[in-house]
Amino acid sequence: MGVDAFETTINVAKMFVIFLMMVQAVPVLVWLERRGSAFIQNRFGPNRVGPLGLMQLLADAVKFLFKEEFLPKKAVAFLYYAAPVIALVPGALALASIPLGPPIEVAAFEMLGRQMGPYVFKLQGYDIGIGIVFILGVSSLGAYGLLMAGWGSASKYSLLGALRASAQMISYELALSLSLVGILLVYGTFNFYEIIAQQQGPLRFMFWGKENVISWLPNWGVFFNPVGMILFAASTFAEANRLPFDLPEAEGELVAGFHTEYGGFKMLMFFIGEYGHMIVASALLATFYFGGYGIPFVSPANIETFFHAQGFGLTAASALTALVSHLALLVKVALFLWVFIWVRWTLPRFRYDQLMDLGWKSMLPWALANVVVTAVWLLVANTK
Amino acid sequence: MLELADYTFYFLAALVLISGIAVITAQNPIFSALWLALTMIGVAGIFVSLDAWFVAGVQLIVYAGAVMVLFVMVIMLFDLRHEIHAFSRGILSGFLKLASAGIVLGLIVGTVYRSAETVFAPPPVETDKMADVTKALANTLFTKYIFSFEVIGVLLLVIAIGAVTLSRIRGGTHASHD
Repeated sequence: MGVDAFETTINVAKMFVIFLMMVQAVPVLVWLERRGSAFIQNRFGPNRVGPLGLMQLLADAVKFLFKEEFLPKKAVAFLYYAAPVIALVPGALALASIPLGPPIEVAAFEMLGRQMGPYVFKLQGYDIGIGIVFILGVSSLGAYGLLMAGWGSASKYSLLGALRASAQMISYELALSLSLVGILLVYGTFNFYEIIAQQQGPLRFMFWGKENVISWLPNWGVFFNPVGMILFAASTFAEANRLPFDLPEAEGELVAGFHTEYGGFKMLMFFIGEYGHMIVASALLATFYFGGYGIPFVSPANIETFFHAQGFGLTAASALTALVSHLALLVKVALFLWVFIWVRWTLPRFRYDQLMDLGWKSMLPWALANVVVTAVWLLVANTK
Repeated sequence: MLELADYTFYFLAALVLISGIAVITAQNPIFSALWLALTMIGVAGIFVSLDAWFVAGVQLIVYAGAVMVLFVMVIMLFDLRHEIHAFSRGILSGFLKLASAGIVLGLIVGTVYRSAETVFAPPPVETDKMADVTKALANTLFTKYIFSFEVIGVLLLVIAIGAVTLSRIRGGTHASHD
């Protein structure tokens, strides 16, 4: 929590800010999704309300807030109302444990006549040593919100959607976890900061105990584990229920799947949950395989030295370093979010048996093979 | 004087106990399963308060995430009225219930009795690095207990093969056509 009131306040405020970051990103993503789909399909998309249709989001938010409250006749009221809230939890918890930038060092200063000691604030909600295990554990709870919505709204479409969702999540979680084993083998730690720190500088790898350096490539995880990256990206699509894996909602067959009976703000909360999953998935892709908040060839220490040379103090230089690194992460995340949207409007939906075949008969064996190959490669690389 | 850790423990213990009781008193099997999921999340919280982060994560992934989701799915998919009736009547099922309750009670009493010295012993040396605990766990698992680990792996393989075989011989979607 913190040693004194100031540190505790900042740490609590960080949690709110990160949650609001997730919620605030959703309208932008919805706008991007609608304009992007229009761009891909050679249409205009929403362009009437405000410049570039940006005010459409505001109009939508007002519409969502003022919709009529509705409870299906045979619904289980508690589950029906609790499900949208529970759908928000996994994404918010997972996002709060991902580092968004290097820690900010605050030098000792005086406030209200009291001497405040030097602080180090981490640019994340809370630091958990076993980051990867925590993320997997929290995201595996994502199925409950969907299941409760499906059962609670007493509709056959909702129930079918929820059943598909849970089967899909369990199946693809295996491939997801196994694809991360490769990263664990390469970096030997669960901690996000250590994983990011090991991805700085030019690409360097061991071969028969000799170190090789390729100076024109960054030291990113994707070069050590390309198959793992592809498997991880594909299974996060399934975990976030995005096309081509959006069987739980499948408009053509199930009306709207598990959220058929939801409208207004409750529906919006499912939306936020889904986009939250996308943001977490993109941030994790960046962290594991693309250097996290690191800028290629430039380490945070370099940036801080640069700002020191410009005449900034310790606190200001540290904060500016964190800001620049955070922007680097945001660029990567935005890129992956665009890929999510791009894929949605490019690929058709799988059939259900194809989905299960892909998960169990293709991705799981590939993920297992990736683990074995990575282990053998590490053995070869480090043997003298 | 109670500290923050004590309050955390009492809160989590109350959560686990209340939801555990709710599992067996809930009328609707869906609610039983959801309460059981909450019990498991509470147990994960207790692991966290004991600094066993890795075990807590695995508890969430395996039990709360996979096993319970499968339970909830099966309960939603099937009408269980016949099974509920079969398990709440009859002498044999009553005897089985008494026997299993006795076994659980014996386990609890035995654990409390045998761990009395350990509980009141001074706490072990503080370990601050969570990742190191995971490494120590892995080292123990893959050196000292490697035989038990492999045996459990073989057991799970046998169970998986058995489940596949059963699903293929009784007809249905995955029946073999030869």
